[in-house]
Amino acid sequence: MLVLSRKVNENIVIDGRIIVKVVRTEGNFVKLGIEAPPDVPVHRQEIYDEIQKSNQAALTVGRPNAGQLRPAKPGPSTPVDPASSTPSPK
Amino acid sequence: MKTVEIAEQERLQVKQENIIQMPLGLLGFERIKKFVLLANPEEAPFMWLQMLDNANQGFVVVPPSSVLPNYAPDISSQDIEFLGIRAATDALVLNIVTVRGGEATVNLKGPIVVNRNTLVAKQCIPVNVANFSLQQPLAAIPVAA
Repeated sequence: MLVLSRKVNENIVIDGRIIVKVVRTEGNFVKLGIEAPPDVPVHRQEIYDEIQKSNQAALTVGRPNAGQLRPAKPGPSTPVDPASSTPSPK
Repeated sequence: MKTVEIAEQERLQVKQENIIQMPLGLLGFERIKKFVLLANPEEAPFMWLQMLDNANQGFVVVPPSSVLPNYAPDISSQDIEFLGIRAATDALVLNIVTVRGGEATVNLKGPIVVNRNTLVAKQCIPVNVANFSLQQPLAAIPVAA
């Protein structure tokens, strides 16, 4: 891991297009400002950890009424109404 | 091994056109890349996202439109490009349901977005993820047992 020392208001540039600025420090807290193009997702590590734990808790082994399950093709002909669940592209 | 036999039988019944490809897997299940979406009309709107190679394991999922009409995850342009989605109607959104002690919650922070045309899917983290709950209770909604 690359370790750099920075003062408040100093930046790190990643890949020529992502700027990480040390905005403020306060005890154990470091406030960072991140400027990145819209195609670069920036999230706290905790988000990934939370979703991972949630997925693991949601794993279902054995399905009641499994014999009644039929393939549900998620194609355009699906009976599921996508109207209000579609993501809004940025 | 019985489990494997079941999986083999199941695989034969599944047509290629129904296989959902998740190149990155789900968070925590990165190696599982192929799923099948199954439904029982009696359990609608809930569906069963089953691992292709393990008929005994999967996730209960629900299209959020049927339980939370106002849910509007802002999917990043990177994810839209990854999925090859060109129009909003190309996308099917599914959210994973967790059942704990008879109480069902839905994960709104990590929706699974499926390209309806290619069946390529990804568990996305919306740009506006901070607005959503990881454990949105479904108590008010009639949940099929």
